[in-house]
Amino acid sequence: MTKILVIDDEANIRLLYKEELQDEGYEVALAANAEEALKAIETAEPDLITLDIKMPGMNGIELLRKLKEDKKDIPVIICSAYGAYKQDFQVWASEAYVVKSADLQELKTTIKEVLDAS
Amino acid sequence: MIQETALGLEILRDVARISNSTLNLDEILAQTLDIVKNKLHIDACSIYLIETENEQPRLKLKASSGMPEGAASNIYLKPGKGVTGWVAQNKKTLALSDALQDPRFVYFPEIEEERFQSMLSVPMLYQDECIGVINVHTLAIRFFSPPEIAVLETLSGQITGCIRNALEFQRSQLLLKEQTLLYDISLAVQGTMKMDHQLWILLTGITLGGAGGFNRALLFLTDDQSKVLQGYMGLGPDSPEAAGYIWSELRHKKGDVLHWILTESDRNEYQQSAFNSLAQSLTIPLKPGTHVLAEAALLKRPFLIDHPQEHSLVPREFAELLGSDSFAVVPLVPHQETLGVLLVDNRYNNAPITDNDMALLTRLTTHIGWVIENSRLFNKLLKSNQELLSTKEQLIQSEKLAAMGELAAEVAHEIKNPMVSIGGFTRRLRDQLSHLCQDPNLASLLDSPIQYSGIIINEVERMERLLNNILQLSQAEQLELEDVNINELILEVIKSFQVGIQERTIELKLHLPREKEVLPIDRSKIKQVMINILSNAMESMPRGGLLQISSLPYVYINDREMLALCFEDSGGGISQKTFENIFHPFFTTKATGTGLGLSISRKIVESHGGALELKNNPNQGVTVYLYLPLQNPANYNKN
Repeated sequence: MTKILVIDDEANIRLLYKEELQDEGYEVALAANAEEALKAIETAEPDLITLDIKMPGMNGIELLRKLKEDKKDIPVIICSAYGAYKQDFQVWASEAYVVKSADLQELKTTIKEVLDAS
Repeated sequence: MIQETALGLEILRDVARISNSTLNLDEILAQTLDIVKNKLHIDACSIYLIETENEQPRLKLKASSGMPEGAASNIYLKPGKGVTGWVAQNKKTLALSDALQDPRFVYFPEIEEERFQSMLSVPMLYQDECIGVINVHTLAIRFFSPPEIAVLETLSGQITGCIRNALEFQRSQLLLKEQTLLYDISLAVQGTMKMDHQLWILLTGITLGGAGGFNRALLFLTDDQSKVLQGYMGLGPDSPEAAGYIWSELRHKKGDVLHWILTESDRNEYQQSAFNSLAQSLTIPLKPGTHVLAEAALLKRPFLIDHPQEHSLVPREFAELLGSDSFAVVPLVPHQETLGVLLVDNRYNNAPITDNDMALLTRLTTHIGWVIENSRLFNKLLKSNQELLSTKEQLIQSEKLAAMGELAAEVAHEIKNPMVSIGGFTRRLRDQLSHLCQDPNLASLLDSPIQYSGIIINEVERMERLLNNILQLSQAEQLELEDVNINELILEVIKSFQVGIQERTIELKLHLPREKEVLPIDRSKIKQVMINILSNAMESMPRGGLLQISSLPYVYINDREMLALCFEDSGGGISQKTFENIFHPFFTTKATGTGLGLSISRKIVESHGGALELKNNPNQGVTVYLYLPLQNPANYNKN
């Protein structure tokens, strides 16, 4: 089964994503910050990562960089409430960028696209 | 002897009387002639004074008695010419009992000099300078005795002082008039900030003010590119009748004429005058050697044209248009640059334009030049100010927007997460409620809860739309496309690498034939891409090499016509391993560097609809091919 790692600092968001993605048939692992995320990657070996940008400690962009340097083959989708980050060059390192919405349809579609592509 | 001494004393007394009673030159000369005629028993006397006209000194006959009336108006002698000229030049008295036989004699029929057999010519000396000559003539032959000569010389000496005073006085009177005029004009000019009013005042001062105003004045200004002189304003009567009327009006006004003109007459009347319309219709190209106005502007010097019809620099039509016997042209050069040209003439009274007139004119045009310059600067200042103000406002506005944008982004983020929770979970709620509806017992009970959750979801979506609308302000389009000159961009990027190129002694070869090539691209992003490519190239050649940047013929990729740029270095190529990883986002072999790598560059280029390819030439170098579409891809919005 395809495993997705959801990285977000808000508990409710993590819960929502977990429920929604599990309904789609994915296995879901959660991480609340960069530290947990890195550990989770080692243990869970996810097939895809969704990543929030604004997080306490190491923020999403730095984590993205680290991820891409070390574990190049895991596709990353940035999922952020911020739209303006789309201007930042560094986010171009991710496979996709989705703006958070109450309607998770776009996220789900993008996940499918990225998984198909990799 | 005693008789002569007594005579001498009488003469001295008479001269002293003159000098105490008048400073008027004509009076002095007339009284001098009286003394000479009465006391020296001679038949005719003439007094010449030295004048400078057009920088040439000459002797003008200023007064005479015993000669035909009205003869004295236009007799001029060059120093050295004639007996008079000789005397002036050599500063020595000449007593000629047989004047006509003297080789130096010059014959003037107007004064009928042939009637007089003898003449005594005495120079008028002031310190070392000769200011004129006194001649006395006798009908009968006379041998002038030394005492007689001495008497005349004494007279001459005394009169010289008076005449000099008179001349000085004349000059200072003129200067005073002029100063008053300039002062009045300056005052009037200060009273208004509008350039046209100021110019009107100045031209009025020139045409109607005191100190020998001119009949008409034409002002030309150079256009912005300094290619032509455009007639701007013309002041002057439209016809001899109008001129006559104006002048008789002025004669009736007591007190300061200029003051009356400036305060009482209608400023805007001139705009309807035919002369003004004529002025504004004139355009003179600023080509050397074609027109006296152009010459004055280009050479920055004044011209006094005496016979316009015969002058090489005056086109026939222009001379006819003006219709005057003479005119003066003065350039306006307030600060080394010619702003325009002023033309004045005396069309109606045909008064000659003298050196004094030219001097006054030059002084007045300096003022005019300053006025125009000031006005232009003032307007520039005004405009800059307005631009600054509006820029300032815009900056404040955009700062506000930026601040608002940041705030909005912050708020959006803060709000979005709760909204995602609310919306997301309410959906799940509704889905689960709908699922429960399958149980017929619960179906009717669940109608309201399902309805309520539907309402909540709608409201959340509504809030989200609102947020998205607001956030449009702080969110730029992903690609901001504009028409960019590719060669310019490449050169710009190269320039920023200038130091590095020199330090590494890299040879740069450019082959960019399409100088005007313009493409719709996101400038900052493609610039980033080029910086990336060049940076890699340079890093591969730390001890020198060859970098070639060329624009290749268009190619077709994916059915689209593309511009092809090729960046080739001689850095020895890259290893297989590196080649595999080179499009990785953060891959870098450099100690420093952002490591953004070619992966991001490729993505940027691909989002433009183009392509980025690498060709590795082992042991030689790397060639990067950058393809960008010539036309807008259909799906992107242009900014």
